[in-house]
Amino acid sequence: MTNGSIVLQVFRGEDLGGKEVRFEVPAVEGMVVLDAIHYVQANYANDLACRWNCKAAKCGSCSAEINGRPRLMCKTRVDEFPDQEIHVWPMRTFPLIKDLVTDVSWNYEVNKQIPAFTPRPNEPVPYRMLPEDTERVYEYRRCIECFLCQDVCHVLRNHDDKSLYYGPRYMVRIAGLEMHPLDSVRRTGLLHGKAGVGMCNITKCCQEVCPEHIKITDNAIIPLKERMTTDVYDPVAWIGRKLRPRRDAIGGGAAAGELGAVRPPQRFAVKDVIRLKSRGRPMARVGGVRPDGKLEIWVLKMKGTQQHWSGPKVIESSDVTNNYGPLDEVGIGSKLFEQTLVEHEG
Amino acid sequence: MTDSYETLSADVLVIGAGGAGLRAAIEAAAAGARVAIVCKSLLGKAHTVMAEGGIAAALGNVDPDDNWQVHFQDTMRGGQLINNWRMAQLHAQESPDRVYELETYGAIFDRTPDGRIMQRAFGAHTYRRLCHVGDRTGLEMIRALQDRVVQLGIEVHMEVTVTRLLKDGERVVGAFGYNRIDGRFVAFRSKAVILATGGWGRIYKVTSNSWEGTGDGVAMGFEAGAEVLDPEMVQFHPTGMVWPPGVRGILVTEAVRGEGGYLKNREGQRFMLEYDPKKKELSSRDVVARSIYKEVQAGRGTEHGGVYLDVTHLGADKIKAKLPSMYDQFLRLADVDITKSPMEVAPTIHYAMGGMRVEPETGATTVPGLYAAGEVAAGLHGANRLGGNSLSDLLVFGRRAGAAAGAYRREVALGAIDDRQVSDEQQLLLLPFSADGTENPYFLQQRLQQAMQDGAGLAREEKGLKTCLNTILELRQRAARIRVPGSRRYNPGWHTARDLRFMLTIAEAIVRAAIERRESRGAHWRLDYLEKDPALGRVNFIAYSDAGAMKLRQRPVQPMPPELAKLLEEPVSKVATPQPPEAKRIPA
Repeated sequence: MTNGSIVLQVFRGEDLGGKEVRFEVPAVEGMVVLDAIHYVQANYANDLACRWNCKAAKCGSCSAEINGRPRLMCKTRVDEFPDQEIHVWPMRTFPLIKDLVTDVSWNYEVNKQIPAFTPRPNEPVPYRMLPEDTERVYEYRRCIECFLCQDVCHVLRNHDDKSLYYGPRYMVRIAGLEMHPLDSVRRTGLLHGKAGVGMCNITKCCQEVCPEHIKITDNAIIPLKERMTTDVYDPVAWIGRKLRPRRDAIGGGAAAGELGAVRPPQRFAVKDVIRLKSRGRPMARVGGVRPDGKLEIWVLKMKGTQQHWSGPKVIESSDVTNNYGPLDEVGIGSKLFEQTLVEHEG
Repeated sequence: MTDSYETLSADVLVIGAGGAGLRAAIEAAAAGARVAIVCKSLLGKAHTVMAEGGIAAALGNVDPDDNWQVHFQDTMRGGQLINNWRMAQLHAQESPDRVYELETYGAIFDRTPDGRIMQRAFGAHTYRRLCHVGDRTGLEMIRALQDRVVQLGIEVHMEVTVTRLLKDGERVVGAFGYNRIDGRFVAFRSKAVILATGGWGRIYKVTSNSWEGTGDGVAMGFEAGAEVLDPEMVQFHPTGMVWPPGVRGILVTEAVRGEGGYLKNREGQRFMLEYDPKKKELSSRDVVARSIYKEVQAGRGTEHGGVYLDVTHLGADKIKAKLPSMYDQFLRLADVDITKSPMEVAPTIHYAMGGMRVEPETGATTVPGLYAAGEVAAGLHGANRLGGNSLSDLLVFGRRAGAAAGAYRREVALGAIDDRQVSDEQQLLLLPFSADGTENPYFLQQRLQQAMQDGAGLAREEKGLKTCLNTILELRQRAARIRVPGSRRYNPGWHTARDLRFMLTIAEAIVRAAIERRESRGAHWRLDYLEKDPALGRVNFIAYSDAGAMKLRQRPVQPMPPELAKLLEEPVSKVATPQPPEAKRIPA
């Protein structure tokens, strides 16, 4: 901020040939980035494209990348960046339409594939639901669909694997449906298949950028991974379901009910994080896959605040109940791994 | 000469994807109609999403004495008896079912300990009646409806602006507009059209409304020959943020006062004790808004022209537990820690009670084939809306309009599209790219907003209203000389140029009716006519188009059947409980 004015560098263009354009906007106390963009629209560039609606962080329309970080423009004050130029870019995970507006229609297409809330056929209305059963669902339902989590997700952004993974927003939606006290459909087949929950490698970037402070990874994705694994890979649970069928498994991928006889091959990468079945240790890191298909694993042991790796041990891949996928050596994921471990030990 | 355009067809076209539009679409689809929804924004961003407090329905879960009769009484009294009695009756009777139905779509309201829907108190509701989800009731509602629409496979055309209703003779047979993304023109042929376009707070400078609230629906309906009822009735919410300038107008929920917040002037006096010793801070919205205005006018306002809303006496723990979003909002946007310092608040434009005149049972406007529901329709709220009645309005009358349109389309065939109407609209739309002029659409919009704020705001008088009317007429001339840069591809300046014409139409209706209502009633406060006029209490004002010119006439308020009239003669059975126990919720 200089001489009572701020300098915006706003991306302008309709394709990759676009570039930043410099605008100087008079600073006003308490101004947010969206105010500055509005000033530019009114005074310098009537045709500057941006989406916005409520200007109160309730609708999730004005998503952008501000100085490299995915944020809502209405919630980002310009005085957070004293003496700095403010660079405003569109979300880069989605195809550009113009300036700050991107084509987010893929998200709406994904959303259509998720089986809606389905109560049991004769559930009496009005519904009775106890507060303790509904409380955990509220967190998922806070989502304002700003798609910042989709924007920051490595799977969607860096690898552009939009065909393999629905992305954090839809993990949150599925979690909200799965944990609805009166819902009667299981979406674990979908999670295992088209929704691709296994693609998430728990870097937690999505929950860091969530303007609604939803713990996307901790409270939606990880529980869904566990739920999916139990349903899809656990033969005991499968037999249990056969004897006492409760919910219908529907959705993409393999139907859960067919998986008991022939186990699909699990693939492991070096440094995959896995959860072990009944070995006293909940999680481990795969050191390597031996030629005979067995795994060399290390288990992280905690004693108080001290930790050490023990191993390698050799196990069958069928001893794995859950595969969290590859793990960064120093990334946030490893921190989470340890935290989860501590929780289980404690 | 016509530019190329795409033509789509449907049995029922729903314009607007807020609560009313989505509910109407669901019902029309349930009646077997092929439905298309168009909306200006992305799906799920409509203004309904901003509703905080709750949805009013006499479930009687917390106060078993509540029933539709009491809800009816409250709504009629709140509206100063110029409401449509039949709408108020249907609304009070059907709201509970609409709320329960929403839960079958997947919504989850806050619960009572025994698992039923929790209800909270609000201004001028006799009993605790507002079903809510923390302070994000609107989000829950729109998400549930959106999921249902997706589940039913209803077509949604996002980021399409409709700018004209197309007529075949007397009947509305479709609509014309443009795709915001690439500027392509698009025509819809349909057997029925439902307007669910919301309100027009955007014509004022200080508002809690988003850019979308430009009155498109009511202006298009007016141009198509439908009648506009009670346009002068515009609600100010008493408490909007004041400082810093960027946040001016953002809503501060009524729950702040519900939890025991005090309104104070600069001298630290709780001035509501004088204006309404009985209900104090929880008086009705029009009364509280006026009281704040009077304090500021008398020189007892804050530095930035508001008053103080103080909750510091409640203690930090209670504030953070009960008002988490307000705590967050002030800390983040205004650098104010509301546990330590008071908030600065002033009235902000919030809601339009007026709109299309509709049949209570069907939402049919006075033009065949055209229906309206939600904020764009009028009649339910009269001169003042009670908090929480708008969300139930959307569901009750959205459903009714959807059902009626779904039935109507069986009786008629698709109409013909008149090329002349299409080419007229195309010319109007394209004018800003070729006009001989230099007017900036944003500057004209700002000029209108300032004029309405000054002349047709909270406190009105004849002189100011007439000045405002002259400004509107002058702006209409200047609007023809708007010139915008760039192409038709996602060009907000171009969009604003067309929106401005809608805004000018509804602004003119507001001002003309406000001049004629020479009394003070509900939200309409005339400094030159401070009292109610019983004669005007028996009429509504209607704006209509007479060969393109706006005319105004009076229409008698419909008489109530005796059994309902009797209800209103009874005294209020119980005073509102100011301190409701709230359902536990997860803190933000």
